[in-house]
Amino acid sequence: MPWRTVLVLAPAAVVVLIAVFGPLFVPYSPRDVVASPDLAPGAQHWFGTDSAGLDVFSRTIASTQNDLLIAVLTALVATVAGIAIGLLVGMNESRRGILGLLARALSRALDLLQALPAVVIGLVLVGFFGASIPSLVVSLAFILTPNQARLVRTEVLRVRGEAYLDAARMAGDREFVLVLRHVLPNSAWPAVENATLVFGSAIVIAGALGFLGVGLHPPTPEWGNMIAVGAPSAAAGRWWSALFPAIALALTVFAMSAVGRRLFGDDQ
Amino acid sequence: MTRHLWWLRRLAVLPVHLVIFAIAVFFLVKLVPGDPVRSLSGGQTMTPEQYEAARTALGLSGNVGEQLLRYLHNVVTLDLGNSVANGTSVATEMKTRLPQTAELAIIAMIISSILTLLVGFFVVLKPKNIVSRGLRSYARAAGALPDFCLGVAVIFVFYSVLHWAPAPIGRYDSLLNPPPRSTGFPLIDAALSSDTALLSSMISHLWLPELVLVIAFAPMLMKLFIRSLGQSVGAQATRFRIASGASRTTVALSIGRRALPATVAMFGTIFGFMLGGAVIVEQLFAMPGMGEYAVQAVTRADFIALQGFLLVVGGVSLLVFFLVDVINMLLDPRRRPGVTVEGA
Repeated sequence: MPWRTVLVLAPAAVVVLIAVFGPLFVPYSPRDVVASPDLAPGAQHWFGTDSAGLDVFSRTIASTQNDLLIAVLTALVATVAGIAIGLLVGMNESRRGILGLLARALSRALDLLQALPAVVIGLVLVGFFGASIPSLVVSLAFILTPNQARLVRTEVLRVRGEAYLDAARMAGDREFVLVLRHVLPNSAWPAVENATLVFGSAIVIAGALGFLGVGLHPPTPEWGNMIAVGAPSAAAGRWWSALFPAIALALTVFAMSAVGRRLFGDDQ
Repeated sequence: MTRHLWWLRRLAVLPVHLVIFAIAVFFLVKLVPGDPVRSLSGGQTMTPEQYEAARTALGLSGNVGEQLLRYLHNVVTLDLGNSVANGTSVATEMKTRLPQTAELAIIAMIISSILTLLVGFFVVLKPKNIVSRGLRSYARAAGALPDFCLGVAVIFVFYSVLHWAPAPIGRYDSLLNPPPRSTGFPLIDAALSSDTALLSSMISHLWLPELVLVIAFAPMLMKLFIRSLGQSVGAQATRFRIASGASRTTVALSIGRRALPATVAMFGTIFGFMLGGAVIVEQLFAMPGMGEYAVQAVTRADFIALQGFLLVVGGVSLLVFFLVDVINMLLDPRRRPGVTVEGA
């Protein structure tokens, strides 16, 4: 493997390793009070302690698992749902009758959903469904699926006119099989390429919801609620309890988008 | 007749969108698990009559069709129900809080637009300048740091370290009285009243949150505008202007006018981001507004308040998109409904 690719993929691999094995090796418990509050970073506590006395380093490392899990599941759900919806809408949009009407209405609904701010949708959905990892994944998927569906729909509209579809129809393929075997592989790739961006967005939005206090609740380690707890400390001059989770969040998003850019080409 | 009324077609679609959106919200609330009466009563035992009365009070009597019609009627008459937590009318709260949040977002949009115009023209007219290069990279880094991280960093730098900003608590100094309500927008109300201490306190409390919003979201506009300007500079129309001897100002203005539509099209989306950012900034700076209301509603599982919140934000967003579309159609006649463009 060329060394450049290794260089780009390494940070993401490190993040995944931390997410999987990190909680096993942290020096202190991420959920319990272990020391006096507001200790500056030092030998005993590498990232210091927050205003409740929890070790920031252990919590930052342990949060990686929760945040990454949410983001991976969201990216999966949003991509799969996006492909399914994009296919549905794209293939049926110009049909007459009830199917076409439904497809066009769904298309409009997706556009309207994209008009709302992500944080607002997330707030309301978490308010309705609670703040556990599954409900967070559902909420984030709601926010991020419309864009995936839109990308796939554009491709489907292009692929519909291709000759090999007519050839398959003449050869006797049923419509459903045709869609699966010919349309899907040729139109799903924009959503798959975009999946790393969905991943990054999921981490950021989950962090924003955690920051507002409506994501995973403390003491569950999660970067968003760590930053929320650390914000008043930062206003008082104690920068460490908010800075380290913020850096971890930014680095993870950056590492994953670097992987995406590398695997799928740079479109800047 | 239709030549000057092209915007009517776009206007006609707005209520349709609003109704579809309201219906979608209705069905979303229907999806919430659990029986609302049971969760609100906290599991106390109720007689069947009490149960029915509670259901009627929540608007849940009748079948889905009747509920939907009643709900739509309420939405149209702006009756958003009463909060389940404290019984206050949701619509009344929104009347106070919406201008507060909207003010944050609108000021940020105005500042970002001005900055985008200035930076865009500067970067394109003087591309080799070192400042230009710096601004270009800043614009490209758009969206790298989430707004809440940026907010905490900004508070730390400008309040804790430099003491240039007052404590991030509220819209104005807690010793001062609130402004008398005339427009509902706090800053305008303070300006209209003769209370200069209040006005200056508000401005000093406002610049830091606005800084956060502008730094977080202006780069997206700038990136787009710089790219559009670059394309516009190399276009045939520009060369025609220059060749026909137009003044430098006229050429610059024509470049700008052709580059604006793509950027203005993003205005609606960016305003949406600003609204979301305003919710976060309100939390960060302990300002009253819709963000505070929504977060409280989530912690209390107040689904009527959340429904009202979603309807109001959705309505505002759709309205903003409509306005953005009309402005864009004013700028670029080719985008008006019913216009066919031949050739390139």
